[in-house]
Amino acid sequence: MSGCGWTLAEVRPVQAGKGKSDELSLYTWTNYVDPPLVEAFTTQTGIRVTYDIFNSNEIMLATFQAGKGSAYSILYPSDYKVEEMIELGFLSELDHTRIDGLSNILPQFQNSAYDPGNRHSIPISWGTTGLIYDADRLNPGPEDWSFLWENLDKLERRITLLDDVREVMGATLRSLGHSYNSTNPQQIKQAYERLVTLKPAVASFNTDAWKEQLLAGDLVLAMVYSADAVRLTKDNPDRNLKYVIPKSGTSLWSDTIVMPKTAPNPEAAYAWINYMLQPSVAAQITQRQYFATPNQAAYDQLPAPLRNNTSLFPPDEILANSERISPIDPKILALYERYWTLLTSS
Amino acid sequence: MAGQSPPLSKQPSLDTEKVLPKWLEPLFLLAPAGIWLGLLLVIPTLLIFELSLVPNIRPGQVVNPSGLDNYALIFDDIYQKVVLRSLSFAVSTTFFCLLLGFPVAYWIALIVSKRWQNLVLLGFVLPLWTSSLLRSYAWITILRPTGVVNSVITLLSSMTHLTLPPLDILNREPAVLIGMTYSLLPYMVLILYASLEKLDRRLLEAAADLGATPVQTFLKVTVPQTLPGIAAGSLLVFITCLGDFVNPELLGGASSMTVARLIYNQFLGATRNWGFGSALSMILILAVSIAIALLIKYGDAVPKK
Amino acid sequence: MDTPNSRLRFSLSWQMLFSLLMFGFMYLPILVLAFYSFNESPYSAGWKGFTWNWYYQFFTDTRILTALGNSLVVAFSATSIAAILGTLMAVGLARYQFPGKGLYQGVAYLPLIIPDIAMAVATLVFLAAAAIPLSGGTIVAAHVVFCLSYIALVVSTRINGINPHLEEAALDLGATPAQAFTKVLLPELAPAIVSGCLLAFVLSMDDFLIASFTAGDGVKTLPIEIFGRIRTGVKPDINALSVTLILASGLVFFVAEYIRYRSEQKRLQ
Repeated sequence: MSGCGWTLAEVRPVQAGKGKSDELSLYTWTNYVDPPLVEAFTTQTGIRVTYDIFNSNEIMLATFQAGKGSAYSILYPSDYKVEEMIELGFLSELDHTRIDGLSNILPQFQNSAYDPGNRHSIPISWGTTGLIYDADRLNPGPEDWSFLWENLDKLERRITLLDDVREVMGATLRSLGHSYNSTNPQQIKQAYERLVTLKPAVASFNTDAWKEQLLAGDLVLAMVYSADAVRLTKDNPDRNLKYVIPKSGTSLWSDTIVMPKTAPNPEAAYAWINYMLQPSVAAQITQRQYFATPNQAAYDQLPAPLRNNTSLFPPDEILANSERISPIDPKILALYERYWTLLTSS
Repeated sequence: MAGQSPPLSKQPSLDTEKVLPKWLEPLFLLAPAGIWLGLLLVIPTLLIFELSLVPNIRPGQVVNPSGLDNYALIFDDIYQKVVLRSLSFAVSTTFFCLLLGFPVAYWIALIVSKRWQNLVLLGFVLPLWTSSLLRSYAWITILRPTGVVNSVITLLSSMTHLTLPPLDILNREPAVLIGMTYSLLPYMVLILYASLEKLDRRLLEAAADLGATPVQTFLKVTVPQTLPGIAAGSLLVFITCLGDFVNPELLGGASSMTVARLIYNQFLGATRNWGFGSALSMILILAVSIAIALLIKYGDAVPKK
Repeated sequence: MDTPNSRLRFSLSWQMLFSLLMFGFMYLPILVLAFYSFNESPYSAGWKGFTWNWYYQFFTDTRILTALGNSLVVAFSATSIAAILGTLMAVGLARYQFPGKGLYQGVAYLPLIIPDIAMAVATLVFLAAAAIPLSGGTIVAAHVVFCLSYIALVVSTRINGINPHLEEAALDLGATPAQAFTKVLLPELAPAIVSGCLLAFVLSMDDFLIASFTAGDGVKTLPIEIFGRIRTGVKPDINALSVTLILASGLVFFVAEYIRYRSEQKRLQ
């Protein structure tokens, strides 16, 4: 064991293609779970679906790298994680001859920076990151990220931030007038220091648990993904919940489906990809879970109120003002992670 | 053992045929567990020691031990804070468990009538049989800003027209302390009970007869007599708290990172650094072993009677 | 003689009151869970009406039920393997002196004191280094380690109380060592093995950390599922689950105690 050393836990394709043909295992975000959608898939194809959930890209990759990925044929990474996973060599190249309906995807999603030509990933949704607040208990509400720092006294231990290093650091960088993807150590440090001053307001960093805390009244404001915010607002029409996209700009994310090289059941994975690309299915995802769809045919099927919902499909000037999180150099990323650890450990 | 005495059996020759060779029996008894422990405990511990010598390692990289960088990282300000916080959680929880547990154990062991002792004790530790996660979850429900405690406070203030301040401790250190104390109090009571039960009551009576006040009796007779139990109970609580993950994670929120949470994050969380996580684990194992060694040494020093 | 007695009575009352208070502290969370499991409102702390709905949801929740099934299988397998290995080990350690015994004993009882997180990490690193894919089996393998120690601990305290001449007598009367073991020693040890197994079973069912590090292939145990739900915002059917589990484990506990009580009565006769 001395000298040359050994390689630690590489995710090996031990079981590639060895899975039962009528079973598909997904690893997806909490908020994509939608039983009716899965049931319809099982009826159409006869494939049984099981799923596990994660709540941040980093945790998804960590779990996958720790060797827990061998069961999954489909993963749901976001844009910048796709690029990282391609570089790590985890994703199998998709055979476009086995995929129908890719042409319905909007051109900007077909030629994304993270995966040009959709060689490894299929975009299935997009959205923004913003702030949701209870307008009955917080008035006036926020318009920009800076609101958080200006109202520290009102927000003490009454907000949550996403449990996601890039989103939280990025938003703070943006509030300082920098880029979400800053590689300038000075700016990153500045953002960290600003976040430290926000710490007394932060009850916890979480991506999902804020929902019932906000409804119960434990929180007045939360940093959230647009899909979750719109869904919670729609599900609770009696509550005065509002979703705001910060004026100075926010992150524009898109989630994709990919097939890892270790996928035990590629057949079923392709069936799932084709199912998700069906315009009616894609439209259902928008209607039930409020993810904006990158599928033009699906968008055309949506009822007008949804198409005009600006929280869901923000106007162009907001989009133009927003940024995509992109992968950064591992050395800089380590810096982000170090500040994240400092922030969550203090 | 049995080998010395000549067998009374009438057919010794046949017997020796059936008997396994002398060296095989201990092997048969001890090897299976030994192999299992060797594979899944000894080798893994050696492996994390090796891994702890590799800075910044993540899965997929080559393990090439190169130094103590990961251990040096622990002296970093922020991680020092985390270590100190874990220690202070462990110390305070031990203190509270002793403070709350001693009277209970004393009551059960010395005051409750013999007939009921077992039942009362069982009743006290019964909550241990429920899932530890669910018990912590229950404390979330109790302590949250709109939870049970605060509902009661609101009710009281509206009834008495006083303005009682709300109790806002969830996602803070006090909540973690409550959760840890709650989880470990039954263990402390069990151990103290075992030790108090052996206490010679006649000593207490004698002390009282000689004019000692209850406090004097307690300090001069009860405590010294039960010192081994106090030490064992405290140690158990201390080392369990040191490695506790569930309570700080669920009740501690954004501001109570502990060593166990930090380790978890290095492997299954956002900041992957298996080397640093391994180093922290090694330190945890070392700390616990030292505590045990101290107890054994100290425990021997305490006279039995 | 009167004064110390009245003093004793005085101290008696405050200790009892304090103990009752502590009993309240121990049962408060359980009562709270039970209360909310019947509360209609999923969010509010106040009482919004009685409902069985959460119990219905829980009993039709296939994810929770699958996880519960996995947990039972894992705990049962780990306990069975550990019962055999642990008993053999305890007997072996009581019987033989050999070089390195201290070391063996130290390792054998190490899992009792090592924090779960460290064991979990070590096992994961080992499995990663050996390129063993994670599965339900890896959870069992990891659980056997600590179950084994607990069972051996309980069994070895019992061995010390057994009359060593019993087995000698059996051997002297012509029993083979195997017969002496199964016919004489094992029945004597049985109560200890059973209570050791019970303890190991409960610990295995309750373990979150080790299982979450060694689980793979989509196998989830109940604590992993519960943790996930608490993290992502709890649905109140978790309350119903808690109450059901508490009742079930309370029942198992009383049955176990009753069996123990009966067997002790028998032995006394």
